[in-house]
Amino acid sequence: MRPVLAGLDTEYGFSVAGRGPQDQIDDAKALIGSYPGECLSFWDQRFESPRNDLRGFKVESLSVDPQDAHFDHGRSHGTIDEVRSDRVLTNGARLYNDHGHPEFATPETWSVHETVLHDRAGDRAILAAALAYEEETGREVRVYKNNTDFHGASYGTHESYLVPRSVAVESLVKGLMPLLIARQVLTGAGKVGAEGSRWCDFQISQRADFFTVPLSVDTLYRRPVFNTRDEPHADPAKWMRLHVICGESNMVSTATLLKLALVKIALHLVERGDAPQWNVADPVRSFMQVSRDVDGEGRITLEGASWTTARQVIESYLDSFERLQADSEDCLHTELADAAKTARRLLAARFERPDEFKRSVDWAAKRDVLLQYAESEGKKLRDPSMQSIDLEYHRIDKGEGLFHALVQMGAVDAEPAEDMVDKRTRQICEDTRARARSIAVTKFRDSLATASWGSLTFGDKTVLLRPDATYPATLDDCTTVEEFIMQLERCQ
Amino acid sequence: MTYADRLTRRQDSGPDRKFGDDEGPSKPDVKKPGGPNELFKRMKRVDPDQAKKYRQRSGQ
Repeated sequence: MRPVLAGLDTEYGFSVAGRGPQDQIDDAKALIGSYPGECLSFWDQRFESPRNDLRGFKVESLSVDPQDAHFDHGRSHGTIDEVRSDRVLTNGARLYNDHGHPEFATPETWSVHETVLHDRAGDRAILAAALAYEEETGREVRVYKNNTDFHGASYGTHESYLVPRSVAVESLVKGLMPLLIARQVLTGAGKVGAEGSRWCDFQISQRADFFTVPLSVDTLYRRPVFNTRDEPHADPAKWMRLHVICGESNMVSTATLLKLALVKIALHLVERGDAPQWNVADPVRSFMQVSRDVDGEGRITLEGASWTTARQVIESYLDSFERLQADSEDCLHTELADAAKTARRLLAARFERPDEFKRSVDWAAKRDVLLQYAESEGKKLRDPSMQSIDLEYHRIDKGEGLFHALVQMGAVDAEPAEDMVDKRTRQICEDTRARARSIAVTKFRDSLATASWGSLTFGDKTVLLRPDATYPATLDDCTTVEEFIMQLERCQ
Repeated sequence: MTYADRLTRRQDSGPDRKFGDDEGPSKPDVKKPGGPNELFKRMKRVDPDQAKKYRQRSGQ
């Protein structure tokens, strides 16, 4: 089976003492600018194309939140480069300001375990920038890895998966949509309350309230369940990028891993024509129904007056994948097989062994803590203070965040070992093109004019980086930039 | 406590093993005010109006 190159981007929420959302773009710029580690301070914007749609057209403009437009009225934040404040880190990651949020985009990885480790390295990078910003300004900063402000503003955690252009877009949509709706029962972050829709005390997903259409290229407003942005960061004749925006920020590493592994499993099935055939009647409504069915099985309405459950949908993908696995000797997929077993175990545990389930699933871990706290304080979930407890679950500061207290108490799955994350803060451990970016920033930064996901530019020489090429560790042995460029060209 | 303290303070790290292979579920016990329960202590420090004051721009 084809290994799938993937990455995970997180827009962090943050608050700065004495500042508000009208200042957020300036504050995010300054916070990123305070990043104290080694980095390249450029990004090559030539290859960005967020208005292209996978369905073969380009939109004139992308929708924006009118409330944000109100914040920006009469204010200038500088050029696009100044606003973005891009940093390329020594591990090949990108750190920048995206719409007023510090964003960490992991380097590209083959292994879902590696993606999770780099996601955790991202928390470190953001905290380091926050610390430096705090010291420079004297303002207290709090950083949250969540997806809502409880007042109607959402920000994303996006997954990117490289997919051959030969895969039909219709197959991709039909094969992925049911899983994207269902997987929240294992990967939802959980939220107290509702935004812009009928109130509920608690729901599984932080993002469900924000999807209004099944398919769209938009991401900031009128968001879709399935995003059709066509921005491959590679040769568009050969590749497209599945840009998943309906996932959310996970604190439990197991949930982060399952979020990625389940989509990779579905992609394998789609590419082989073996994806389960579920005709979801209304993806937006189903996403919301599953999110709100906290104590039920999450009904998904199908065309033809039929229905299924989130569990049945996920298990249908696992069944198909395990049949493939029996025929496969490809050890690269062992981790997906392990993830499939974990997913199956957790689906069975949800109602039968809830204590086991909530060790690995954010929404269940958070809800349990909220309920016990509500009981001990004599409050109800709809008490406004409960949203504050929800928010603090996502605080990435290990000395303050509620999730991190659960880790320290052994009440949720263990986080990756510190030394494994430490290593990913400095380098990449796989042979993806991110290794080339990492080495370029670490060793040849003075010669590097700019960089992007698919290119490195030295002076007026741009080297395009094929996403499916192998970039060996011996690249690090190059002693001159000329030798490095020559070796890179041999990789293509 | 400064941010520097928070960043440099060594946390209990998990063993080097696959995520999600833990055994033996345990229930977080938040009903011991004043007891050695880190979660409860942190919850008590949360500003109940924090979410009310928390406003963000829309991201992607």
